[in-house]
Amino acid sequence: MKRTGMEGSFAIAEAIKLARVEAVAAYPITPQTHIVERLAEFVANGELDAEYIPVESEHSAMSACLGTSAVGARTFTATASQGLELMHEVLYVASGLRLPIVMTVANRALSAPLSIWTDHSDAMATRDCGWIQIFAENAQQAFDLTLCAFRIAEDPIVLLPTMFHIDGFYVSHTIESVEFLEQEVVDKFLPEYRHPYPLDPDKPVTIGAFGPPFIYTEAKKAHEAALRSSKKVILRVWQEFSKLSGRHYSPVESYKAEDADVLLLCMGSFSETAMMAIDKMQAEGQKVGLIRLRLWRPFPTEELRQAVSKAQVLIILDRALSLGGTPPVCSEIQAALYPLKTRPKIVSFVGSLGGREISAQGFEEVIRHGVDKAKQGELDEFEIIGVRE
Amino acid sequence: MTEKDKTIEIRWHGRGGQGAVTSAELLALAAIEEGKFAQAFPSFGPERRGAPVLVFNRVSDVNPIRARVSVTNPDIVVILDPGLIYITDVTSGLKEGGVLIINTTKTLVDITSELNGPWKLAVVNATSIAREMLGVPIVNTTMLGALVKATGIIELESLTEPLKERFGARAKGNIDACRKAYEETEIAELSGIVEKPRKTFETETFPSWQELLPGCVVTEAGNAKQYRTGDWKSERPVLDHQKCIKCGICYLFCPEGCIGQNEDGYFEANLYYCKGCGICARECWTEAIKMVEEE
Repeated sequence: MKRTGMEGSFAIAEAIKLARVEAVAAYPITPQTHIVERLAEFVANGELDAEYIPVESEHSAMSACLGTSAVGARTFTATASQGLELMHEVLYVASGLRLPIVMTVANRALSAPLSIWTDHSDAMATRDCGWIQIFAENAQQAFDLTLCAFRIAEDPIVLLPTMFHIDGFYVSHTIESVEFLEQEVVDKFLPEYRHPYPLDPDKPVTIGAFGPPFIYTEAKKAHEAALRSSKKVILRVWQEFSKLSGRHYSPVESYKAEDADVLLLCMGSFSETAMMAIDKMQAEGQKVGLIRLRLWRPFPTEELRQAVSKAQVLIILDRALSLGGTPPVCSEIQAALYPLKTRPKIVSFVGSLGGREISAQGFEEVIRHGVDKAKQGELDEFEIIGVRE
Repeated sequence: MTEKDKTIEIRWHGRGGQGAVTSAELLALAAIEEGKFAQAFPSFGPERRGAPVLVFNRVSDVNPIRARVSVTNPDIVVILDPGLIYITDVTSGLKEGGVLIINTTKTLVDITSELNGPWKLAVVNATSIAREMLGVPIVNTTMLGALVKATGIIELESLTEPLKERFGARAKGNIDACRKAYEETEIAELSGIVEKPRKTFETETFPSWQELLPGCVVTEAGNAKQYRTGDWKSERPVLDHQKCIKCGICYLFCPEGCIGQNEDGYFEANLYYCKGCGICARECWTEAIKMVEEE
């Protein structure tokens, strides 16, 4: 199909329209606003037959989504940063009730100081909320993974809300080329959503009852098991999508990493800039490669172990802090690799906070510095790169 | 382990509103006042007035209390409401040689025919004492007197200060009720095999995590009607048909919604759900409803 030039946010809105979403409840917040503005237009001009619920806050947005999803309507929302934080408590309700809401998060730093610019602080603050979480790096992936998100979330053995992350501005406001799918193709890929136990006055059910100590642990175990076992559905859906579109997705994606002794690991749109550094360094004969985590929840432990099995050094770039602790992505990777007999040396960096950029040359420096640190054995603490002393 | 090293564990069985939590608090405060180590804590839950509640104490002469967990093998069980022995397994886990203290109108002999075991049994008509001394059937302080008499776990005098602190102007009535119960409590040493009331307690079975539906959805609509809240009452409403004018004010005020109109037009409470709150009796302006103590 022909490639079309389009802003990332609008590409996501196209995917939502093609997915025949039935309900949208959202509150505008930078840098997510363009997505829901475009959806509001689609609903207003009749291109999308959906209920668009304008709400007074993100807390209400997610609460409204609980209702529309519980009655069996395919439901979408989008947010970022402070908005995601404001809906935080409702995120846990959505996943605990097993409602397959799909949400785009246009990643943005958290206040204070007030920042509208990109990093992964908002994503990391929600990592334990029981949603499936996927990272997309560009508009094409955002389009593709949006469609896949509904298939995954609504699968009868999954029934979990799914959040996919795009970098604010670097994806949401960037115009690039995107290849769409025809409506008939999407319709075939994405059958109508049917919740097995919807709220229905003719067939009443209770959802959201309280869970005393004798049931709460079992409820959480069931939620945990559902989230873990969603991985096989994710793999199956991505495989099916690849047959449809020719575009492949996997939980951990490697770039020129086959013979690499040194691996850089990152997430989000800057991975593409990092690829340029890898290209250049490989051309110079250096054995470096790149790993990107596409799937963040459920955490792809096996795939990660496999991807780093031959590396000597693993340099992890977190785009968020866990203030007072180990950076979030690094701590998860350390936990995943700790039980292994042989594992690469791990160098932990935090960078690109609150919209500060890293150029391709900057990534080269990150890799070189990481290798130096590994050689010197300076592995016991993480380092914030690019900070003025 | 010497006698002094032992930690005495107590389980209180009461109903929401009877003051079991206060009893346990006062006991712990009095024991601490005596220089002992003590603990009091309730089993938290959504209980409301009339619902069965559990409260726990631990008391040790010399050792700090570390256990932060419910008492399942008590040395002492105190029962504030006689009806509880038919709906709760009150002697569950009670140690051999332990003490069972019951508020009841029944005699030692009558109780023994229902609730036997290798225990010391103490009975007192605490409801009657509380009505007499306090004007209300709240038996918490009364049962403290019975507990002290049956176990000697603290000195009766040690309760005076905590009671004053807690009840202020109403302390005297509570101190008197406590003392009267101390004097009237009858004690017997039981022996033999454990016997429980005729009612066989339903052992609750809970589902495994694999049996839960997604999101713990409950597909059986209206299943709350199976919940026998009538077990919560210590008093039930009795209607005098001579005085009743069928106005339905009781029906309007019943917070449980358990009052309905029968074929003859009288409004009657469904005792399967009635919690015995007495609001109908209070609101009935022809005084046709009387609250009568449950047997």
